[in-house]
Amino acid sequence: MKTRIITLLVLLSFGLVPLARAAQEPFDPGPDPFAEEETGLRLPDPIEPVNRGIFWFNDKVYFYFLKPIARGYRVVPEPARVSVGKFFDNLKFPIRFVNNILQFKFRRAGVEVDRFAINSIVGLAGLFDPASRLPTLPKYPEDLGQTFGFYGAGQGFYLILPVLGPSSLRDGIGTLGDGFLDPVYYAGMKPLEEVGVKGAHTVNTLSLDKDTYEQIKKDALDPYLFIRNAYAQRRKAQVDK
Amino acid sequence: MAKSFSALVMFFVVMLGAFPAAAAPTPLDQVQQTVDKVLEVLRNKSMPVAEREDRLRTLVYDRFDFALMSQWTLGPYWRHADAQQRQRFIDLYSELLEANYLGKIEAYTDETVRYLGQKVENGRAEVETEVVTSNANIPLTYRLSRQGGEWKVYDVVIEGVSLVRNYRSTFGEIARKDGIEGLLQQVARKVEEQKAAAGKNGKKG
Repeated sequence: MKTRIITLLVLLSFGLVPLARAAQEPFDPGPDPFAEEETGLRLPDPIEPVNRGIFWFNDKVYFYFLKPIARGYRVVPEPARVSVGKFFDNLKFPIRFVNNILQFKFRRAGVEVDRFAINSIVGLAGLFDPASRLPTLPKYPEDLGQTFGFYGAGQGFYLILPVLGPSSLRDGIGTLGDGFLDPVYYAGMKPLEEVGVKGAHTVNTLSLDKDTYEQIKKDALDPYLFIRNAYAQRRKAQVDK
Repeated sequence: MAKSFSALVMFFVVMLGAFPAAAAPTPLDQVQQTVDKVLEVLRNKSMPVAEREDRLRTLVYDRFDFALMSQWTLGPYWRHADAQQRQRFIDLYSELLEANYLGKIEAYTDETVRYLGQKVENGRAEVETEVVTSNANIPLTYRLSRQGGEWKVYDVVIEGVSLVRNYRSTFGEIARKDGIEGLLQQVARKVEEQKAAAGKNGKKG
């Protein structure tokens, strides 16, 4: 008798789970949550053949030029490379500051000023990022492309820039404009030295990257389409923030 | 003996009584439960890779709704697909996601997850988390749909990029050009490719 009750209870308690599952089988998923926003995310690509050409070219530049240098540069210990990245990031403060102002985000612009002051002084010229330890001082990255987006400008069309990678008509113009806010532009360097500094930044970033592009190339049915859509989504999310 | 028996009965009564209460956890609770278990498996480097992959597979299949993901990834093409094509797509798409993401568990080092909050509305929910790595915090949002007492993930958004939306754009483009059959063939080919590559790596390692 006792064992029979126990068996019954055991069966009941385990049986409940599949029973509950069976009961909810005809499940109505509701409306497609991805349908309505489809238009807001459209990134036209009228020059796709040209873009695919540049994409192919950038692929070669990546594998045969930039990546080997980045791999060699990995002899530098990682913490040092992280610091180099932070140094460059800190230098780009004017871009973030001005674009926050242009979007009337005055409080965020103020936070960027605080961050720049703290990281330049306490963080030894930006090599460290002590400001991010304070919960009140998060980064507020903004650029001119986002500012254009803030004022309602669409992306125009997709544009892959040689070496620089995915962009759009709007963001490409933005990148050009932001160049005038980059301290490197005013450092009195020759054009070739300027390219060298920007190249160094790129190589440093690549050395810290865990083969993101290689993974995309391996995983995606069409890496070109994967990156185009990811770019469109990411930029929209940044503008909306 | 009688004592231990009544204790056992009590135990089951409590268990049964607890079911209605346990049936209404929040989406955040359920995501956290799964993610914590996943992290536990990832950290357990002493467990053989095959076993870890098995455990992760079970955890993920319990929390993710691949049929729903498939439906929304195909979007308008789902309606044009017949029952047999839909099932093939669900199977192939799950296999592709598995090949693309499950193979990366070795890349895990010391990342942790912070739970930032949740939004619940009309049977849908978003759970916001942040993956904390050594040099960056990566925002990661889970989108869930309620199915009875369970919340099931149908999309993952990383740094503003939705996984379903991304696959949807590529698959949509391919389906538009080559039809649903063409898409199914290309996904199948990619899965084979990934499996072959994983097999090679396995032999090497």
